[in-house]
Amino acid sequence: MAAVTGEMSWFCCGSAWGPCGTTGGGACGTCKSGNYQHAWPNASDACWSITRPDTCGMSLSRRTCGFRHYTTNLCSGLRVGTTIADCGPQTDLWCGERSCCGSACGTNRIIDLTPAAYSAIASLSTGLRPVSVDIV
Amino acid sequence: MNQSLNRRRLLATAALGGLVGATGLGSLAPEAAFAAEAVTVEPGAPDPNFAEGRISKVSGNMLLVTGSDTVLHSIRITNGTSIWKLHPTTFDQVAVGDGLYARGVRLPDGTLAADSVWVNIVNLHAHIASVGRNMLHLDHKGQRIVAHVVPGRSAAVYNGTPAVSDMSLLRVGRHVQVLGAWHPDTNEISIATVYAAA
Amino acid sequence: MIEVLAALQPLVLGAVLIWSARVKLFSRRAAAAANRSALVRLLGQDRALPAYRVLGGVELTLGALLLAPPALRLEAIAATGLAVGFLAYLTYARRVAPTSSCGCLSAQPIPVSGRSLARAGLLVAAGVLAGLAAGGWWTALAARPLAGAAVLLAELALVVALSPELDAAWLLPLRRLRAWLTRPLRGGSGVPLLAAVQQIQLSDAYRRVAPLLRSDVREHWDDGDGRFVGHAAHYQGRPVTAVFAVPLADPEPDAVRVAVVDDATGETLLSLAGTPRPAGPRLTVVPA
Repeated sequence: MAAVTGEMSWFCCGSAWGPCGTTGGGACGTCKSGNYQHAWPNASDACWSITRPDTCGMSLSRRTCGFRHYTTNLCSGLRVGTTIADCGPQTDLWCGERSCCGSACGTNRIIDLTPAAYSAIASLSTGLRPVSVDIV
Repeated sequence: MNQSLNRRRLLATAALGGLVGATGLGSLAPEAAFAAEAVTVEPGAPDPNFAEGRISKVSGNMLLVTGSDTVLHSIRITNGTSIWKLHPTTFDQVAVGDGLYARGVRLPDGTLAADSVWVNIVNLHAHIASVGRNMLHLDHKGQRIVAHVVPGRSAAVYNGTPAVSDMSLLRVGRHVQVLGAWHPDTNEISIATVYAAA
Repeated sequence: MIEVLAALQPLVLGAVLIWSARVKLFSRRAAAAANRSALVRLLGQDRALPAYRVLGGVELTLGALLLAPPALRLEAIAATGLAVGFLAYLTYARRVAPTSSCGCLSAQPIPVSGRSLARAGLLVAAGVLAGLAAGGWWTALAARPLAGAAVLLAELALVVALSPELDAAWLLPLRRLRAWLTRPLRGGSGVPLLAAVQQIQLSDAYRRVAPLLRSDVREHWDDGDGRFVGHAAHYQGRPVTAVFAVPLADPEPDAVRVAVVDDATGETLLSLAGTPRPAGPRLTVVPA
């Protein structure tokens, strides 16, 4: 798989406080906010039927629970390796949305990182960043 | 106060390029800069330089935090620590009972020397069920969340365009991403940023 | 009156069941609806969609039987059993998988709410009443058309009111109308801090120093025509402050400047300014 560019956001999972308290361990049952993990829109047939990145013209590869992706923040070049622990983001709700840093842009939401992973490469207060996602 | 003003004046002067007494100039090749920080935590594993939980005690410049998995964290706030609580703020705004995420450097004694602390920060994907005077009622995974617009603080981003203070384009029934600050032990938040699709 | 009410219940139950079956059998989003529902938790991922479809088939069959003559008590008993099953399932879903979707009358992701439970309770009551009916709904409606129509309308209105799936058809437009009339979110003005942060992050000056930054925004202030945003950073092994200057009147990313200032000595170690050029953004290192 060539690197895919798009947008990333963050989500909480596992034991948590506040409105996150009801989220549980995610689709894979292993998700924790403090771990280097992520949600992927094509983690299963069921997941794909919910996130539908194809409606935004994206064909993301099927990767299942535990698969490693490496996400590079296009704003800073910082990179983090994470494993799939949940299904998401819901790409089809944000078709065409675009985030940029300088001339580096990402279009469509393709990955959600846990707070631990997101904050390793961006500030949580940004909420949304352009990234490239790779498997090596 | 004067010290703070002087410092800001110094920083502003430096940023605007009117430099006084500067002695060094380092090159900043992109490749060198991008290699500056390597994250070495194994994918899937917990990050020792990250902590989350509820603040159970504030003592001096230390926060005692009970993690959601019941692990205790001691977090040290330094002069260089950024503190976010709806907006960039100061240590005195942090209170017992607040939730937080913190990133920094784990010291040998187990303390986390924080670079950044995000207090009560939440990132919700929700639908706008209704709107009231300076508030949104959100449906978030079966929960009703009351999201308050804070004049002068809250911002809206419509389909990736530059942030504005005007929230009046938000529509009932539409999907939104809301970055905000939770009001501890309630179903209410204050809005930092609303992202709305076109 | 109670006879009319009882006799009309198969019509109400049949209509609701066929509407519900329509989503499960014919919606293009049925797979997503099944996968969002608590059936995944109850039966497993692989069996959720087949079970959803089978349920749709049962609803369609029973709904058609309820609508078509003859009126059999067995149909009312079966409908009551199905409604009790719905109530039990929704109670289970709300308790065990509160973030799951109902999957009831719409493929939209609608969590199980108190209204969904009340609607299932209403269907149970309708089933019990239907069991008491002496004749078919068509006979009752023909005998007392006005009273029958009023009862039907009131009951269907109650079903609609208890169905969050149908809010988009009536409740949300009403709320939009109220918002349009009262403008409760008007009044936001000024340039939020985020606008400056976005402008900074769009600049090449930011991309150049971003790897040095250690903290989120640590401080910010306005001074004259500019907004200043400071981050803690590390440069050449020492703690520094990276301070960005954003002109309030110029939204172009190229207008953003940054300096890296030594925290201990106050020396400026680095200063970068974007220079707008048609050929593309370039950075100039300003001698400090």
